[in-house]
Parts: sequence; C-alpha cells; structure tokens
Amino acid sequence: MATTIPSIVCLGVIGRNNNPLHTSIFPSYDPSSNSYHPIRTPLQFSLILSSTLDVFELRSHQNQAAGVGLTGDFGLLHAVDDRLAAYGFETNTGTRFVVIVDMRGRRIDNAVAAGFADGRDKRIAGAAAGLREGEMRPVFKAMQAVYIRLTQNPFYDPDEHSSPLGHGGKKIMSKKFTEDMRRIGENWTPGITNL
Amino acid sequence: MDEYPAGSLDHNVPFLLTLGTRTGTAYDAGLSATLKEQAVLIRSDLAPLDSDQAHALLRYIRDRDASELPCNGRDASGRKYRFRVKTAERSLLLPPRRARLPEGIEAPSPSATPAPVLHSPYSPLSPISPLYPDGLIDTQWIRKHQDLVPSVLLCFYALVSDPTLATLCDNQIKTDINNIRALLSQSGYKTRLAVVLLSDHVSSAASFDGVQERLEIIRRGSGLDSKALFLVPSTDSQEELERVAENMLTTLYAVSVEYYRDLGRHSRKKRGRGTVPQPTVPPTSGTSQTLSLAGWNVRYDFKSAMFAEYRLEMDVALRSYEQAYENLLSSEVMELIPSWSPRWNEARFLADVISVHCLRCLLWNGQHSAAARRWQFHRERIADLVERQGRGTKNYGWEAWEARWAVVMADLIDKADIPELAPTTLRLYLPPEKSIMGERLQPWELLHHTGYWYRLAAKHLQARKAFAHAIPEDDRRSPSISPASHVAKSAFTYDTYMCPDPHEEYPLGHAGVDHGQMIVDRLMRARAEFLKRRQARFAAEVTLECARELAVAKDWQNIVQLLRPIRKDMPFRAEGWIPIAEELNWALRTAAAEVGDAELVLLADWELLSRDFTKRPNWHYDITKSLEGVGLKSKPSVSIQDGQLISFVSASFLFKNEEGKAGQSVHSQLCIRSNAHQGSAPVVLQSVYVSFSGSLDGVVLRHRENGQASQHSHSKAILTTVPLARHAGSDEQLESSTPDEASNGITLLGPADLTLRPGQALVFNMEIPLREPGETRADSLTVNIESEAFALRQSLTFQERSNSNIWYISGSATKPLPHPHPLAVHVLPRPPKMEIRCPVWNEQYYTDEPITLKFEAENGEDVEALARLDVLLFGEKPPAFTVEIPGHEDQISSSVRSEEARLSGVPMGTIASSKTVAVCLRLPPIERSSRFDLTLKVTYFLPTNPGTPISQTAVFQLNVVNPFEANYGLIPRVHPDPWPSLFDPEGIPLPAAGAGDDHVSPPPPKGISQAWCLVTRYASFASEPLRVTDFDVAIQPSPTFRCSSTKRTGLPASGTGRLVHPKTIEEAAFDLVAQKSTVDDRSHAPLDISLIIKWTRPDADPASVNTTTLPIPRFTLFGTEPRVLASVSHHHHPHHRNQPLMMMITLTVTIENASSHFLTFGLSMEPSEQFAFSGPKQTSVNLLPVSRRSVQYRLLPTTALAVTTRQVKDGESGEEKEQQKGEQQEGEEEEEEEEGGMWIRPVLVVRDKYFQKVLRVIPASEGLRAGKDGLEVWVPRLGPELGAAEGKMSER
Repeated sequence: MATTIPSIVCLGVIGRNNNPLHTSIFPSYDPSSNSYHPIRTPLQFSLILSSTLDVFELRSHQNQAAGVGLTGDFGLLHAVDDRLAAYGFETNTGTRFVVIVDMRGRRIDNAVAAGFADGRDKRIAGAAAGLREGEMRPVFKAMQAVYIRLTQNPFYDPDEHSSPLGHGGKKIMSKKFTEDMRRIGENWTPGITNL
Repeated sequence: MDEYPAGSLDHNVPFLLTLGTRTGTAYDAGLSATLKEQAVLIRSDLAPLDSDQAHALLRYIRDRDASELPCNGRDASGRKYRFRVKTAERSLLLPPRRARLPEGIEAPSPSATPAPVLHSPYSPLSPISPLYPDGLIDTQWIRKHQDLVPSVLLCFYALVSDPTLATLCDNQIKTDINNIRALLSQSGYKTRLAVVLLSDHVSSAASFDGVQERLEIIRRGSGLDSKALFLVPSTDSQEELERVAENMLTTLYAVSVEYYRDLGRHSRKKRGRGTVPQPTVPPTSGTSQTLSLAGWNVRYDFKSAMFAEYRLEMDVALRSYEQAYENLLSSEVMELIPSWSPRWNEARFLADVISVHCLRCLLWNGQHSAAARRWQFHRERIADLVERQGRGTKNYGWEAWEARWAVVMADLIDKADIPELAPTTLRLYLPPEKSIMGERLQPWELLHHTGYWYRLAAKHLQARKAFAHAIPEDDRRSPSISPASHVAKSAFTYDTYMCPDPHEEYPLGHAGVDHGQMIVDRLMRARAEFLKRRQARFAAEVTLECARELAVAKDWQNIVQLLRPIRKDMPFRAEGWIPIAEELNWALRTAAAEVGDAELVLLADWELLSRDFTKRPNWHYDITKSLEGVGLKSKPSVSIQDGQLISFVSASFLFKNEEGKAGQSVHSQLCIRSNAHQGSAPVVLQSVYVSFSGSLDGVVLRHRENGQASQHSHSKAILTTVPLARHAGSDEQLESSTPDEASNGITLLGPADLTLRPGQALVFNMEIPLREPGETRADSLTVNIESEAFALRQSLTFQERSNSNIWYISGSATKPLPHPHPLAVHVLPRPPKMEIRCPVWNEQYYTDEPITLKFEAENGEDVEALARLDVLLFGEKPPAFTVEIPGHEDQISSSVRSEEARLSGVPMGTIASSKTVAVCLRLPPIERSSRFDLTLKVTYFLPTNPGTPISQTAVFQLNVVNPFEANYGLIPRVHPDPWPSLFDPEGIPLPAAGAGDDHVSPPPPKGISQAWCLVTRYASFASEPLRVTDFDVAIQPSPTFRCSSTKRTGLPASGTGRLVHPKTIEEAAFDLVAQKSTVDDRSHAPLDISLIIKWTRPDADPASVNTTTLPIPRFTLFGTEPRVLASVSHHHHPHHRNQPLMMMITLTVTIENASSHFLTFGLSMEPSEQFAFSGPKQTSVNLLPVSRRSVQYRLLPTTALAVTTRQVKDGESGEEKEQQKGEQQEGEEEEEEEEGGMWIRPVLVVRDKYFQKVLRVIPASEGLRAGKDGLEVWVPRLGPELGAAEGKMSER
C-alpha cells in the first residue's frame, strides 16, 4: 500500500487590504485514480484562502491581547477538514502568506517508505503521521524571501497592489514570483528545513 | 447521533426510579411485546402520594436529572451525584431476568441432561433475543440498564402524624416495602430499594423521638438498611426540602454506584471463566453457529466498560471499551463475520458504539486531541475493514456513514461542552494536550469546533449524494419489480449499513432520501457555529455551498434570504476575491430571477457584465434582457452606489487647466469606459450626470442617437465635443435622472451619444463655464439606464490617480496631463473687463517738454460701471501730474514719498457698457532724463454686484530722455582792445561816492579783457528729428569779471530753426568777451556757462518752444601766467597782372604779461624752406607788468602753391576742412599738403629769458593750430575762386 505524506496544495499571498495577491495551486495525489490533480477547484481554493482571513483577524486580536505572535508566524490557522489545513504567516507590513497543506497530498511508494523507515531518512516516514509545530516555518521563510525579492524590483509598486487607501489592489503578475512560488510548493516535504 | 438507535450512544447515568407519587401518567417501560408478556410487575399496594410535599420533592429530584448534563468531568454545580430519574406511580415493569423457552420448543424433561439453562432475553443465548445465536450485543441490552432496570428504586410513603392512624399506616408501609422487596428479589435484579417517608406533622422536639422510633420500627420491619430510609420532615421551606433531598440523593448515589460495581464485577467474573456458555437451545437455523469466545469477551468487556461508565470511572471504562474494540475488530470476531450477514452490520454498529463511548471517555478526561485521533482511527479502521471485507468505500453507504461519523463527533463535542471551545473564546480549535504536545500531529487532531465537523459531514453527504445519483437505474427500481437476480446482485454491491437500499436511497420515479435537505441542515448548523465565532468568511463559504444545494431543491426564496446579506456585507468584492463574488452573483441571480426580485437580478447582471468576471458561454450579456422571464409587480428602479459592486463602467474626469477664472470657461473631459465582456450588447445610457462641488452643480448629458456611432464601433475611444447649455427651469425628467440632493443650482445640459460598447471609452469634451471663484471639483458620475422594464442608476465617484490623467487628443491619441488634481479647478475671481489703453504711446519722451499722456478706459462689461481711477507714478523724483477727465475737475497728484507721486480715487463717473472715457495725464517738463512706472488702476463696481469691487490695472513705462547732448571747446582769441595801463590813473578804482548808495550801478569794468570763442558741438539723441529754433548761452554772472557773448548759430535767419536729425552733430559757436572789473585783479576766474537749446517737435506748434539747458563744464579764464597768442591774417595781392596771386601771411605774436613782474622774452624764428618771412629772426621783448606786446612776421610760403587747377569746393564748411586737415595730418607727417591748402610750420620759439623757459604759442585765431611740433599756419591754396574762399576764410 502506498503511503501518503503531506504536501502543499496551495500557496496564497494576501495583501494588506485582504486582497488576494497571488495563488498557486498544486496537484495532490488522488488514490482513487492513482494520479495527481488539484484537490479543489480554484474557486474553492479562493474560498479557503479567503476564510483564513477570519482566522488571521481572530488570531491577531488574541495575539495582541496576549502580546505574542511577534514573529508573524500564525502556525496552524485551522484545519479546513480532515485533509486540508491552512497555515499562516503575516509580515509586519500586513502581507499574509497562507499555505494549504493536504495531509495526504503526496504518495510515496512502499519501497521508498520502507527505505526511509530503514533509517536512511526517517524524516519523511515519520512525517506521514502529521506535522510538527513550526514545520511550515521554512516555507514562510522562503515565501517571504521571494516576496522581498519582488518588492526590491523597482517596477513593483507595493501601493498598486495594496492600496494605502484600503481598497483592494492588483494581483502580482511577476513570472519570477510565480515560478518561485511553484518551486517552493513543489519542493516542500515535511521536515525540510531549507527551501 | 440521532440516526443511531435511541440510547445506544447515550452517556450512561445511574438509573433512579421513584415509586408511589402520583404523576398522572402510567409508567411505560418501553418493553417489546414479547418481553412485556414475560415482564415482572412490581407494584405498591398503597395509594400513590398526592401531597404538595411529595410533588415538591419529586419535582426537585426530577429537576436534578443528569441525563442531559454535559458529559465532562467538570462538576458544574458541585453536585455529588448523577441520576437519571424516572417516575412510576404505583407499579413498574421490569424485563424478565430469564427468558422463557421459545414456544416451539418443548420444555425438555427434567431428566434430560443437560437441562436447558434459561438466559436473559438480551443474551444471544436466548432464542427470543434477536442476537440469538451468534450476535454480540445490541442496543436492547444498553437500554435495559438505562431505561428499564433501575439501580435504585425509591419508594415514597407518607408518615402519617395522626397518632390514631400512625401504627396502621406504618404497618401498611412495612408490608408494602416487604412486598416490593420480595417482588424485586423474585425478579432477580439487584436493584436497591430505598424508602422516603414524607412526614406530614409539624416536627417538634417532643414528637421527634416518637418519629425516630417509628422510623426504626419501619426500618426493622421492612429489613431496610439505615442508609435506605429517609425522612422528609413536613416543612414549608423549600431550602429545607432541598437540603434533605440533596442528602438523600447523595446517599443514594453511593448505593447506586455500588449496584453498578456489583454488575461490573459480575461481568468480569463471567469473562474470567473463559468458557463459551451454551445457549438455551442449540441453534437450528442459519449457520447454526454460536458466538465464539472472543465474541463473548467483547460482550463482557463491553458490559464492564458500560458499568464503569455508570460509575463514572472513565479510565476504567475507556480501557474496557478499547479492549472490547480491539477484540471486536480482531481477526477472531469481525473478520470472521461474512459481510453479507446482518451480523456484519451489527458488528460495525457495535464498533461505532464502542468508539463513541471511547470518544466520550476521552473527551470526559479532556484528551481532546486523543479524541480526534481516536475518531480518525476508527474511521480508518472501519474504512480498511470495509475495503477489505465489505463493499468498499466507493458507495453512498460509506459516505453516509462518514457523514454520520462526523456529526456524531460534533454532537459529542457539543455534549462535552468544552469551555475552551466555547464560542465566546473565539477559539477555533484546541491546542493539543500536554501528553502529545511535541508529537507530529495531523492538524485535524487539534480538536476543532463543531462547525468544522458539521461541514465535514455535509461534504460527505454531498459525496453520498453524488454516489447515489450514480446508481444505475436498474438498481433504483423497487426490488418487487426487479428480476430476482438483479436484486441479489445489488444486495452485494451497496453498503446499506444504517442507510436505505438503493431503491430507497435514490428511487426511480419518486422522491427518496432528501440529500439536499440533509446537506443544508448540516451546513446551516456549521454556519451557525462559524458565525458565532466571527468566521464570517467561512460562514459565507458554507452559505454558498448551502445555496448550491438549495438551488437543486429549487428553494429560491431561501437562497435569496441567505445570500443577500452576504452580497451586501461581505467584502469579497472590495477585497478582490473575484471568483467568489462571481459565484455569489450567479447563484443569487438565478434565485432572484425565480423569486422575482428584479433588483437583485439587475444588480447581478450589471455586475456580471464586467470583464473582471469570467465570461459564461451562452449567456446573453444584455442588461436590457435581464428581466426577461422575471415576474414583476412594478417597474423596478435600482440605485447602485459606488463601490457597492464591481461596475464595468468606470469614469474619469479631467479639467485641462489647474486654474480658471470666473466668467470664463474651462476645458474638461469626461471619460466613461466600459469594461464589459466582448460581445456583450452595447449599453445605452439614457443620461449621465456629473456632479460637482463648488459653484457648479452638475452637468447632464442626455443620450441622443446620432447614427454615426456605428462607424466608431471598433475604435477604442470615441471623442465627442458636447455643447452645454444652461438648463432652464425644472424639468421633471431631469429631476428624476439627477440625484435628489442636487436639485437647486446651476445644471448644464448637453446632448451626446451615450451608447457604450464593450471595451470602449466614451470621451466627451466639454467647456464648463465657471461662475464663482473658489474651487470647483468634479465629485461623481451617475449613469442612468432607463428601459421599458427597469430603471438603473449607477453612481461612480471620481478618483484622483496620478497615473490616469490621460487627456484624449483624438480617439486614438492621448497625452498625460501633468496636473496633480485634475478633478478640481481653482477658479480665480472674475477678471476685469475694463480696458485701459493708451492710443499714442511713445517710446521716449524728452526732458524739458511738458508731457501729455492720453488714456482711454473702455468698459467691456455687459453693464455700466461706476469707476474710479488711481494713478501712481513711480520713479526717482516724479513730478506732480494732473489728471483731466472730461466732465470732472482736474486733480493734481500728491507726492507721498520721494519716489512716488500718487493720485487716488479720481472719479470717472459711470461708464456705459462698451463706452470709453478719455483720461488725460499732464506732466510738467521734466528736467532730467529719468524713467517712471506709470500705473493706472481703474476700480469699478457693477450694478449687478455692487458689493464687489473689480479693478483693472495697466502699467506703462515712461522714458524721459535728454534730447540733446553736446561737447564744448573754449578757444582763446586776441582781444582787440588794448589793455588798460597799470599806470593809468583812470583805471584806479575810486572809493564809492556814497557809502549807502546801492543804486549806483557797478562801475564799468576796467580790468584786463580776454576774448574767447566757445565752440559747441551738439547732437540730437531723440528718436525723431527735432526742430532747433535757437541757441544761447547762459553765463553765470561773476563778481570779479564781466562776460558777454555773441552767438554764431549758423541757423537760418528766418527763425524757423533747423531740423536736426537724430544722431547728427551740429555745431554752434559763441564769441565770449570777458573783462575783469579791475586791473588789480588778475587772478584765475571760473566761467560757468550753460548752453540753451530751444527746440520744438517738428509737428508741434512753433510757439510751444521747449528749452533744454545743457550745463557746460567750468572753464577757467584769466590768470597771471604770461600767454603767447599767435594770430594770423592772410593777404594776397597781385604783383603782376599776369602772375598768380601772392599769398602774404601776417603772423602776429602777442605776448601778454598779466603778472606784476617785468618779464623779458626771447623770440626767435627759424628760417624755413616752406616760407620766407620778414620780421625779427631773433629779438627780445620786454614786458612791463600788466602789458602786452605784439611782434609781427610776414610770411610768404615758398612751397607755394602757385596756381592750382584743383578747385576748392565751395560750400564746404570749415569744420569739414579742419576735420580733413586733422585726418590728413595723421596720415602723412612730412607732406602737409592738403586739399585747399597746406599747413606750414614756422618754428617760432618764445622763451622767458629769466626762467629760460619756452612758452607755448597758443593759436588764437583762425588759420592757426597747435601742431605736433608747435604752431602751424594754414596756407590756403590760391585759385580763381580765391576771392570767394578768401572771403569765407575771413568770415570765419
């Protein structure tokens, strides 16, 4: 039997005005057809990303009251259902990164799993059970790095994407940014420490 | 949870049954018919109590029923007991302890061995039980302990206080108790008996002992434990009653727990035996297989777990449950049950029940994550089992179970009432408990609130629905009309565990399971949970899903109700979650169309036209068609605020200039862009209204078809210039098309083609007149669409963006407008229309000339103006001036400061419209050339606006220049008169005849005289020719000498003067004679004179002569130094008639000694080749003080120029000659020959003998000059016209 491990199915960047800046969707493993395709439609991912905003709001209130959460890492926002879970990070400029993980998103073959279990790399085999707190930190770090690179582009005007007036904004159209997001989403596996 | 049989999943709470109080309802044991027949009846013979006291007590006990309490270990009210309370009036039924033998089986003879053992009817050993012969355990058994067999039977009796009846009653009570006890023990149940005696007499110290005694008697008589007899004293106080009841219940609880402990012990004992009990009758039907030992173990474990749960020993219970579960799912029990057997589903059911109880235990202990994990574990376990042995997970049955399983969890969480997860904490999930903190956790293992579980259930229900809808038609037919083979086949295909068969799940022809309703129900519950925790967006997502289901059910009204607030309140649109807004719109639009809510339909259709949304194929995208098929009661009118939705129409407005002036108009451009889907129908805007703040209210553009629009249909922008007209009066139509708040004020109206094609921009050039100063700002645009079916109004607020200031030059060409605030124009005050002109303005005015400046003020206003004039002349020492205005008095300026002359508020009277008033400004002659700024300011008031002064200012620069400049030379001459003798007594001034005689004119001067010639060369610096009429010199009178002048102007004698052209030099000479007043005074004397030129402008009146006085630098006359003056005279006379004329030159050297010394001078004349001379070649001249002597030489030039053929041109002025002479002299040094003559150089040396100093010989007449090497004498050329030339010479 093939074992499944968590994988990223969606990376979202949400602007300061709660506006979607970027959404990358990744396929996840479907055991019924033994193939990879996105687990949800883009609309559904939109809805999931949007609903994380509720959590961001709730959590920032709680964090503020408790005086914690200065790192911006919100950890697990909520589990959308028994398969998908949303993790969040907020930069100090109010841009939010959301990672949606499918807990059964990727298949590893028995042999490979066994191989891992042999001790060559216990990391992934163990990860099949779940995720540790802070497991998403490298993803956020990588996303933030990519985002910072984007903002360093003189042609990227942050105000255009998150208007200081507080109304919407354009999406990020940068190909490089999209490519980087894709790289992050595809390369992440549980336990990875550097992307 | 409700789908499970009643009681199967309930939390087990000790069962307390009261007996003997009137309740009005008969006791319903809820036994099945078979069991009822065999049931044990327990009855009390005494009449049930009906006293208030009894009822109050019973009510209190019933109120303390704990079966509905939250299932958690926290003791909410400090209660020490938990009971599930049921009441019976007089009798109750207990299920039979031993089932009878089935009817068909004859009671075997007692001799038969082994004798059939009778078992509980709930046991798989009894044929009467549905579990017989190989079932595990079922709900009946659970219900037995929950509902049928009480742990404590509490009997109510009245303790009669009447002494006469007391003994009798007590005896009756004793009998009854004994009776009940006997019945109970007969039934075989170990139900504990307890008695409560309600005393009806007032307790007193005296009677207390009596009561105690009676109690003791009853207790002994009925063989009751002391803990099982309670007395409730007669009291009115509720607190007292409660206290007693509390005590009683607490005591009873311990009894009850003991009861369940006994039962648990019994189960464990049976498990410990390790043998399979034999059924009453060996099974004869089916597989004739009995329950295995493992099965029995499951049964016993389950039982002990249940009893542990009754005792609230949750850890024990959990262990037992887990054990039962493991055994159940082990290879020995579940794996052995074939999946077609009903026992398979029973086993699954049991697994569920055990899991639920496990979950409850975990939640009870606060192991939330463990619970979530257990929940998942069970699901995976069962899924695995179903996949391997059952019908797989790819059918509706599995999904139904999944959904149910999620709901069960939600219900459990709900029941557990976890305070950390209460809505008020706004927590979405619980952190993991400490024991598993560092482990790798599935996110779902952090226990989320019930909303998530309900949603999960809904998701599975949707899957169930999808599977159900995929059932082939054959299976959906009722089995009665299906071929048997088919029925058999489908029986093995579908998992019907706790859900209907396919022909009922999704029957052909009639309605089956209402999946939609189930989904909606779950979703609504989820939604409520999300809303409680402020997860508005998540709730909206759930609502959308809900709407999708409702749409299938065609429950349009509900959809509208659900979605309308989301559409209104949720910020999806504003935040840019376009796909969500789109989904919402379509869902709402469909529902609204069905419901007939035209406004929503229009809003949705209007918004969906925008290209931000994906285009749906086969949709008309025509707003005019949007209400087709919608039932309308009246014509809807929709007003859309800016930002309310994503409008495909966007608008921008630009003022071309940053500033404008009131009364003028400013160019502006309104641009309406469409971002509609390509291919959508053009939208015809009926009118658009641009609202302004400031002096202007608004601009209305009305649609007018102009036919040519169609040819632009492919261009990106259509540029139109719209003429605007002042909107007059109140037009009903206009009122309706403009927002209400802008009803008064100025509104402009213009026609334009307002057909907006998708992707196109309509650009309107407008000239907007500005009325009042201040700022006029374009605020918003309102777009009106009017059709037969509806009216729609969209307002759009203009936004200032630095990058969108695009000015359309043409339809295809644009330019950015560098204008920081293009929405606003700063309106400056109305410009004055009074014009101040000067019809004749000269570049230059001249000094010494009275200046008259004529101005005109023309009133360009539409109405007459009452005007006043201010004049300011600014410069260095401005003259006072006079202003003349016809019809008004002349006014003279005053000088405020040294550099300005001002005249304020000269009344100009009323100037009629387009009339002119002449203003004449007179300045007196100005002496010095100077420059002035002349400012004229007309301030006027219009009768239309009398409060506001309007002023117009004109500035002129007045240049006053000197028309002439001159240079001067003072040349000495020999005065012809002899000098006065120092020794002449006549020259001695006499003292005045009379001391006081002032009238005596000063005595005639008797001093030395000197003659001079003043040569002035003047030039005109005017810009035009001036006529010079006269010259003069003004000599400053001096006390020491007298001076007089004779002018030689060279002007025509007629007096008309000479026209002097600019930049030409003219010459004027004056002969001056000066005489010292006394001989004694011979010192230097300064001469101050100035040149006076009288001139007129050529075109001016000759009488008005201007006099320009040019001061001449000071000259010095006289002096005591000796002077040598040379003068020549030319003579020529023919020696012979035929010979040329001989030129004879007489050179007179006059030596003046003005000093008071005797001086001797040596004179020498050197011979020269140039001339011959007669006179002393060398001589001494002695001069007395104040005397002069002359020495004469006659010179005959030898180089002479006998006869020349060259003509001396007549008319040449001496000046020219001299110039030429000078020029030639520079050119040739040796040759002195010139035109008309030549210069000879007599070397004449005059030396002061005493000082041995050579004196300079000063040329003092015409024909002499001081050359480079000394004196030079002019020898004119002789010719035929000599006479004339000579004459001319002598004239000079």
